[in-house]
Amino acid sequence: MDQQSRKLGIREYVSIAILMVGAKATEDSPTILYKQVQNASWMIPILSAGLFFIPLLLLLKTLSLYEDKDLFFVIRKILGKYIGILVCLIIFFISSAAISFDSRIYTNIIRTFYFPTSPVLLIYAMLMAICTYGAKKGLQNIGSVSYLIVYYAVLSLYIALLLSTQSSTIRAMFPILGPGTIGLMKSSFLGLTLFADFFLFTTIIPYVMSGKVFRRGTWIAFVYTTIQLSVILLVYICMFDTTLGTIGYPFHTLIRFISLGSYLPNVEIIFFVIWLLSAFIRFTAFLYINGMMFGFIFKIKDFEYLIPSLATIYVMIGSIPESAIAVSQIKVMISGAVGPVFIFIALILWLVALLKGEFKHAKNRNSM
Amino acid sequence: MQKTGIVCKGLLFLVMVCLLTGCSDREELEDRSYVIGLGIDKSEHKGKIKVTMLLANPEVGSMQGGGGSTEKPREIITFNVNDFIAAKGTANSIISRKINYDFLKIIIVSEKYAMDKNFPTTISDTQKDKEIRMNTYLAVSKENASDYFVENKPKMETRPHKYFQYMVDHGIENGMIPDSTLFRYFKTLERGTDLYLAMYTTAIKSKKTKYKSEDEYMAGQEDATGELDDTQFMGSAVFKNGVMTNKLNGQETRIVNILDDTTDIKDILIDIPDPFSNKGGQFAARIMKRENNKVKMKSLKGTKPQMIITIPLKVEIMTNPSMVSYTSEKNRQILKKQVISFLKVMNENLFKKSQTKLKGVPYPLSLYARPYFLTIKEFEKFNWGKSFIRADIIVKPEIEIIDYGKQSKKPVKVGG
Repeated sequence: MDQQSRKLGIREYVSIAILMVGAKATEDSPTILYKQVQNASWMIPILSAGLFFIPLLLLLKTLSLYEDKDLFFVIRKILGKYIGILVCLIIFFISSAAISFDSRIYTNIIRTFYFPTSPVLLIYAMLMAICTYGAKKGLQNIGSVSYLIVYYAVLSLYIALLLSTQSSTIRAMFPILGPGTIGLMKSSFLGLTLFADFFLFTTIIPYVMSGKVFRRGTWIAFVYTTIQLSVILLVYICMFDTTLGTIGYPFHTLIRFISLGSYLPNVEIIFFVIWLLSAFIRFTAFLYINGMMFGFIFKIKDFEYLIPSLATIYVMIGSIPESAIAVSQIKVMISGAVGPVFIFIALILWLVALLKGEFKHAKNRNSM
Repeated sequence: MQKTGIVCKGLLFLVMVCLLTGCSDREELEDRSYVIGLGIDKSEHKGKIKVTMLLANPEVGSMQGGGGSTEKPREIITFNVNDFIAAKGTANSIISRKINYDFLKIIIVSEKYAMDKNFPTTISDTQKDKEIRMNTYLAVSKENASDYFVENKPKMETRPHKYFQYMVDHGIENGMIPDSTLFRYFKTLERGTDLYLAMYTTAIKSKKTKYKSEDEYMAGQEDATGELDDTQFMGSAVFKNGVMTNKLNGQETRIVNILDDTTDIKDILIDIPDPFSNKGGQFAARIMKRENNKVKMKSLKGTKPQMIITIPLKVEIMTNPSMVSYTSEKNRQILKKQVISFLKVMNENLFKKSQTKLKGVPYPLSLYARPYFLTIKEFEKFNWGKSFIRADIIVKPEIEIIDYGKQSKKPVKVGG
């Protein structure tokens, strides 16, 4: 295989991003948001995207100084060897915690709705085993598979949402401001974690065709997922109204509620299988990115071999909380930290690069 | 060498098939027993409930052209339990197969238990069991739910799941019973601004009933004779804060269903007093609702809020007992005015009843008030429940008569 064919094109990259970020509306994030800002939670993705826009722009600008280099390389280059490693480690730990507990949430969903008597560990191990297998195949394969299933995932999601509108009312979105402007502003910080994946995507730049493709793909995926998250939340609010706060996993409650006429009443399994496929992609890509980070920090070249052991560790961390309630409490804590930390890192990077005069150097280089 | 590879891969696929059966959650269709109807009654023992399970026999009616088994289509058991989730296990001491709520269609609560203050806690167990779907219907029976299932012997539709599905679906289409799913129950309970309606049913015909018009009955009052099943679905039970407090008859339920934009009603056939007849004659009309209501609210923050509800309806005149010719514009205007005033009075009577007797609105009208507020705090301060009782409600039916029916002439009398 030549070098060129192993790189991700824009469509593969965008589909990975859509599957990873878009999937957040199908777990318990909507409920967490609803508990904060009630019926105005559909605005949170838009507000958070607005907040996240500037750091993302600055980050991409900083990264564009070093064509085809990933985030960790740039961090080390700009912040120096020791602080750089420290920052990289922080990012790695945060994303490790995120993948452990997110995958546990998915396991909980599968268990509560479809396999109520199976042990958690069995489902968890199966889920992660499949993701490990996928991750070991490499990013190019993950990209191809996600491009294959992204249409099914998006289409089935919209069909489910469309079917649910039969029993929903748009008036549930009022009073329009929910808890008031101050509450909205506060919670939009919490919503930042929805877009934290975009920060992590910058580590796969070397695997994307070119820096320009990466930047374009990021913006396309960013705008699209913002709209999609917002629409899904709005549909949930219109359907569940105030009960959304008490429902753990709205997407799965929704697909169990809808029916295709009285002859096909229970259709959740169609949506469940497609959802499961997108879940596999999400964690496969996540696992791969984490493996890559680890490989970079500890200078391990063939990091693919690390993935199974990393996955085992994540399963072990994820199995620590006893119940689903404990998991969601931890998740609220992590999501509170992820957004601000990533934004802070992005801003610091840009600031240091600016102070060091990296932008001027780049200009000079270009003009030469 | 390549062939061996293909064969090996093929065999691997076959091994994968074994995985499909699952491990811990393996289910055999053969050893499942599906509960179609669940009855909840008050138990004689304190803190317990009496659960009735209506189990369907999947074998009956599944075979084409007869030749099926001679087993009965259903089985009913009643026993005292703490809740109906652990009851699944208890039931296995009586029923040979594993009890499963996956196909639960309807939950029937006796009127007596629905009025009990423990009812909301009991019913909220349905949210805990993932087998129970939120589109299961909730109905209130006049008698004990255990008697209801035993008395209910459908003549034609012996398979219980089909019986309840058709009975409920068509009842809702006619507007005689509300679309009372568990989903709506919990939504109304959480919202805490309006009342929930559950369908009212009985399997025992009441002895003496006064003759009333078409739809003014409760379930059990319709005096039908012939060779039939005595079960009737009509009217609704009103739930306030999750506990039953009152009842609405078929006509009132219909009005609520017309007012409520969130239910799917089809065409409603009703009788309207004939303006051209002086002997109290009535004509039949089909009422269709194709568009949503328009609701305007004024001076919500004042002491007397005003709500103006415009109901766009399309009407088809089906009969013409007084044989009036509708070719003249004047007659058409009289007819239109009659329909409007008839509907207006019916609606305003319902609102009067809900303001005085029910103390709440039996459908989510509060949703229309929400856009007038910016934040949830403001809306809570406004206190919908109290404001509604004070409110001045004006109903404006917007009638469009799309068909006057066939114009018939008075027959010529012999020798006349």
